[in-house]
Amino acid sequence: MLNWILGAEACLSHVLPGISPPGKPVLVGCRSPEKETFTCWWEPGSDGGLPTKHRLYYERERLEGVFECPDYLSAGRNSCFFDKNHTSIWVDYYLTVVASNALGNATSDPFKMDVVEIVKPNAPENLTLLLEGREDSPYLHVSWQRPYNTDTKSGWVTIKYELRVKQENSNQWKVYMSGTQTHFNLYSISPGVMYMVQVRCRLDHGFWSEWTNTTYVKVPNYLQNERPFWMLVSALSTIPFIAAACVLVMKRKYVKQYVLPPVPGPKIRGVDFQLLKSGRSEDVINALIINQNFPLMMGSKDQTEEYLIVTENENGIPDPSASQKRKKSLIIPGFCLDSEIQCKGSTPILNDCETSGETNREIKNCVKSNKSLSNMKPSQLPAQEQQWQSMNFVSTEATGQNRHDNTMQPFANSSYVDIQRPVENIKEVDVKQVDYRRVEEVNGNNILILPLNSSVCMDVQRPEENISEDYSKVKVVES
Amino acid sequence: SPSVWFSVLALVYLEHLELSMKVGTTPICAYGQAGCHIPSLADFFDRVIQQSSRMHGISSDLHSEFEQYFFPSKNFIGKRKCHTYGILTPEDKENAQRLGREELTEIILRLLEAWGDPLSQLYWSMSQDQNQDFNHYSSNKALEISDMVHELRDGVEKMVEKMKLLGVLGNTVGYISPEVWCPLLPCPSINKENSTH
Repeated sequence: MLNWILGAEACLSHVLPGISPPGKPVLVGCRSPEKETFTCWWEPGSDGGLPTKHRLYYERERLEGVFECPDYLSAGRNSCFFDKNHTSIWVDYYLTVVASNALGNATSDPFKMDVVEIVKPNAPENLTLLLEGREDSPYLHVSWQRPYNTDTKSGWVTIKYELRVKQENSNQWKVYMSGTQTHFNLYSISPGVMYMVQVRCRLDHGFWSEWTNTTYVKVPNYLQNERPFWMLVSALSTIPFIAAACVLVMKRKYVKQYVLPPVPGPKIRGVDFQLLKSGRSEDVINALIINQNFPLMMGSKDQTEEYLIVTENENGIPDPSASQKRKKSLIIPGFCLDSEIQCKGSTPILNDCETSGETNREIKNCVKSNKSLSNMKPSQLPAQEQQWQSMNFVSTEATGQNRHDNTMQPFANSSYVDIQRPVENIKEVDVKQVDYRRVEEVNGNNILILPLNSSVCMDVQRPEENISEDYSKVKVVES
Repeated sequence: SPSVWFSVLALVYLEHLELSMKVGTTPICAYGQAGCHIPSLADFFDRVIQQSSRMHGISSDLHSEFEQYFFPSKNFIGKRKCHTYGILTPEDKENAQRLGREELTEIILRLLEAWGDPLSQLYWSMSQDQNQDFNHYSSNKALEISDMVHELRDGVEKMVEKMKLLGVLGNTVGYISPEVWCPLLPCPSINKENSTH
């Protein structure tokens, strides 16, 4: 019977073209989901046109003999399922698959495996996401269960979990290790965003399982109710600020005046500073002189006027009482020098009295019982138009060196002590007369007597009306 | 070094032991301060399991590196029978559960004891290597795994003492006679349990 069958096969192969012994099958791999059972799959070769049967045979370490697959069905086509009784760990299995049909056999290459090396568990189960926490600090509580067939309770396997999270619109997964815990808290979540979560696991040193199906959760927008309120509040509160800023900008001139009041500039009474800055020298001079409000002198009535220029070196003690009315007045720079020179060279009178090295800018005029001088009656002078010049300068130092004040030779009359100079000296002085104009303030008690020199180039004119007056006083000089 | 993996396996069995003991957890103090509890048994188990897991990774790396150097053709040379081949470890879960704590513990200790010296020797020979077959990385791994095995053995011995104190483990676990390791085969076997030799 067998011979006939074999003969028939041989005949068939000659008679029916296209049939052949089967092709060699290939073992593609094995897998154990829980380290207690495992399954192996193969890929059949060509079947040679005939019904082909595949068989799996294995040998095992520490076990004598060749065995056939215990279960071809449970795991589907072209597979072999090893149940618990046939599964041993830490031992090598040598598997081969034999394909056979009417015309022959084909044997696959041997496949060596150890159960421990093919462990790949099922994915974790029942992945749930719960939104917890307070409204202002929510977090996501992720929980799942172990794959149903893994025996972690007895410790047969040590399981490790891993989860990954992704925002809906992003491509980037964020991966977290969870160890052996079956839950995990995600704190870094933003409201209003949809999150996707997946979990996978592995046993001992085996392969990672597949990821679970994606679970979605959307974090509600807690802040929505609060946000418009705060926006409104902040918008309203900025309005007064803006209004204040506008007002400030519009009234910036006033604000500037108020905040930064103008510093009073130097003021010369009777002098227009602007004129000084811009004007010509004549204008300047006139401004200086004309605008000075010299208080009217009542000198005609008051014969006890004091003309404090005269100092004597002998006394040297200033009389403070008399210095009250003295004011500080500027000395024309250079004048003193000139006067000193003049003092020196001009009159012998001065030479006698002069003290050298005096820094006090005092004009030391000698009180001389110079009758010639004292005889100069005011009434005579204007008629004669004598040139006389007397600089009665008082430079009083604030320190009280008012030695001018003293040395009062009590004048019986209002008489000056003048320095008479020769004409040529006058010229010299004329040159310097510009300096005189710089007297800033002339107290009533100080008398500035200007030379009434026709050769004087500045436009000082003695007003005619002064003629009849006491020309010990300078009234108004008009230019 | 597949037998080293046996030790890993055995230590994994330990977890079976651990979970059946249900010892309460206490806070861990690293430095044994006064008033501080030393690690619980469960913590010990956790540490041992983690350490053996790390050992497994290193020995796998070393194994594949050795295969590259010595067996580049990737043919099945077949498993050499190493000196601890005779220490039978449970093959599946039922056998492991059937074995009992004392036997499991003994297997673990024997494995760890047996592999201390060979791994030290391995590191020494790698560091002395004249041919530069092994790079620095590999010899470091050999050193690391050698240290790990020694540490693990000391740790498990401490655990055994604690378990005996707690009454969890019987006193039958006594002195472990070391597996004889002979660099030159053949070597007399003194393992009575070994039925396959």
